[in-house]
Amino acid sequence: MLKKSSWWLVILVYVVAVGFLVTGCSKKSMIKDEAAGRQAPAVEAKKEAPPAPMAPPKEEAQPAPPAPAPAPEAKVEAAPPAAPEAIDLVGLRLQFAFDDYSLSSKSKENLEKLAGWMKKAEMGKIQIEGHTCDIGTNEYNLALGERRANSARTYLEGLGVSSSRISTISYGEERPLVPNTDEANRSKNRRDEFVMAK
Amino acid sequence: MKKNYLILLVLLLAPFLLSQILWAKIYIDIRSPSFRKFPIALSPFKALTPPSQDMKLGERGREILREDLDISGFFSLLTPETSPEKTGGIPSPPGEGTAPESPDFQPWANLGAEALVTGVITYQDGSLTLEARLYDVVKKELIVGKRYIGEMTDLSRMVHRFADEIIFALTGEQGFFQTKIIFVSTAAGNKELFLMDWDGRNVTQLTHHKSIILSPRVSPDGTKVVFTSYKMGNPDLFIKDLRTGEERRISSYPGLNMSPAWSPDGKRLALTLSKDGNPEIYTMNPDGSGLVRLTHNPAIDVSPTWSPDGQKIAFVSSRGGNPQIYFMEANGQNVQRLTFEGNYNTHPSWSPRGDRIAFDATLGGGRNICTIRPDGSDLRVLSANLGKCEMPSWSPDGRNLIFSSDRDGQPHIFLMDAEGTRIKKLTFQRGSDSYSYWIPRAREPK
Repeated sequence: MLKKSSWWLVILVYVVAVGFLVTGCSKKSMIKDEAAGRQAPAVEAKKEAPPAPMAPPKEEAQPAPPAPAPAPEAKVEAAPPAAPEAIDLVGLRLQFAFDDYSLSSKSKENLEKLAGWMKKAEMGKIQIEGHTCDIGTNEYNLALGERRANSARTYLEGLGVSSSRISTISYGEERPLVPNTDEANRSKNRRDEFVMAK
Repeated sequence: MKKNYLILLVLLLAPFLLSQILWAKIYIDIRSPSFRKFPIALSPFKALTPPSQDMKLGERGREILREDLDISGFFSLLTPETSPEKTGGIPSPPGEGTAPESPDFQPWANLGAEALVTGVITYQDGSLTLEARLYDVVKKELIVGKRYIGEMTDLSRMVHRFADEIIFALTGEQGFFQTKIIFVSTAAGNKELFLMDWDGRNVTQLTHHKSIILSPRVSPDGTKVVFTSYKMGNPDLFIKDLRTGEERRISSYPGLNMSPAWSPDGKRLALTLSKDGNPEIYTMNPDGSGLVRLTHNPAIDVSPTWSPDGQKIAFVSSRGGNPQIYFMEANGQNVQRLTFEGNYNTHPSWSPRGDRIAFDATLGGGRNICTIRPDGSDLRVLSANLGKCEMPSWSPDGRNLIFSSDRDGQPHIFLMDAEGTRIKKLTFQRGSDSYSYWIPRAREPK
């Protein structure tokens, strides 16, 4: 019972989020030069009130294994066909193993989608944020977060995205997605996020 | 001729040398292997206040002194509720104002005390006075006596000053009771720098960057702090004068600018930069000039800390597969691995005595504070059952460590001795406290 209704909630939240993105982006595509400046706030707003990131933790309160997989897939399927100009940067988030910065095949897939979109969009810059869980001190974790961001940057560059359109920053353990209360949450915090940059 | 001069010189110097020896009588040889705790009695402090203002000044004053002397680890403390002297515990009439010239030592000797501290606190017309004396009970004589005058809020600082006098008079070493701790706290929302006395009293906020601040390290002369801030977007290094409050950005290379460490002479900073594509250790002048790269390794190299003689730098590197502690010459030569036990060993801090390096590690069933000798021997896990313990920093005398622990939920700053036995919580405010760094010398920032 609960499961079914919460899935509906997730889908609903999702549709609203995508709706926001689509309207935001379609407006922008009308404007030309000035749009580059405005693009960032639209995505920023989405990032500050993130409907998508809130969903996965809710799901995982229930049986953990099946939950994480469907959520991003649903997003990826929904976003591109709805509007070719829109991309769900939150859904493209990359996950990493403990003390590791190598890209999984899933991460590479996400980066290929991002690279395809960036090449098609022909403008706009993204910033890659590297994050870690809270194990170890932040000085080391800042270095690890930077490596995670650089892994994604190098891969994007290899796919032909101009390096001038990519910037990186590491926040180490300073901006966790979810509280570092247990291993499942820590694992979610070992990630790269993509945000629009000016 | 030469011989005669030499004899003359010795004769001339003799009285000075002799007086030096007599003056520096050591009651407690804290370096001796047969060191035993020195029995010292704290007589109840007398408080001479107008009758309407009984603020338990006497009890508060003696309790602060008791905590100080207890933390030092040098003493067995005798703190009777009432003085064993016949006239003890009864304040002298306000007109007389001072402690009796000489206490009756016999009852204190009977308790086993070898030294005695008396104190009289007077609060009148907004002015607080502490008169404190340290006596040799065996010889029945005054060792040191001081009078401090200030405001009501100065009580703890007055007591700390006299505690330092006691430590110096009995051991010949400098105490740390007037030192301060700098740390990062979210008490005001964002991660900002805060300053407090070593015992957690008198907390003040130092920065208002409204961003993320990390890794504060204070210069050996206590006047400047270097730290990382995201104020301008990127993690850059800033220097702040603790007296004037003036602040400047000193390192803003692309990528990370972080984990600064002052050389013991205060002339160089070791730090981590990732401008060359990968986090490496560098040194530079405190104004950002004269950059020299020390490490050349594709792995992560961060968190340098200098040996007290300035000859070596310990740091964290992942070159062996996971983060471990390494050290090298201060010019970057001769890198050697120090730790082989423990996983995720980070945040090394070299003791000011030079004999041990503290760090945090996943070892002993959790995140714990550990110490090891600089030759890699005698690894000790100090904290246990204290939650996640990280970021150790040594006391100026190298006998205690401060660190952050989430034992009570949010991380707060704790103090423990170098054996991990006596543990004291120092911060109690809202939010999380981390990156505590014990400032080497007492300086009053303005």
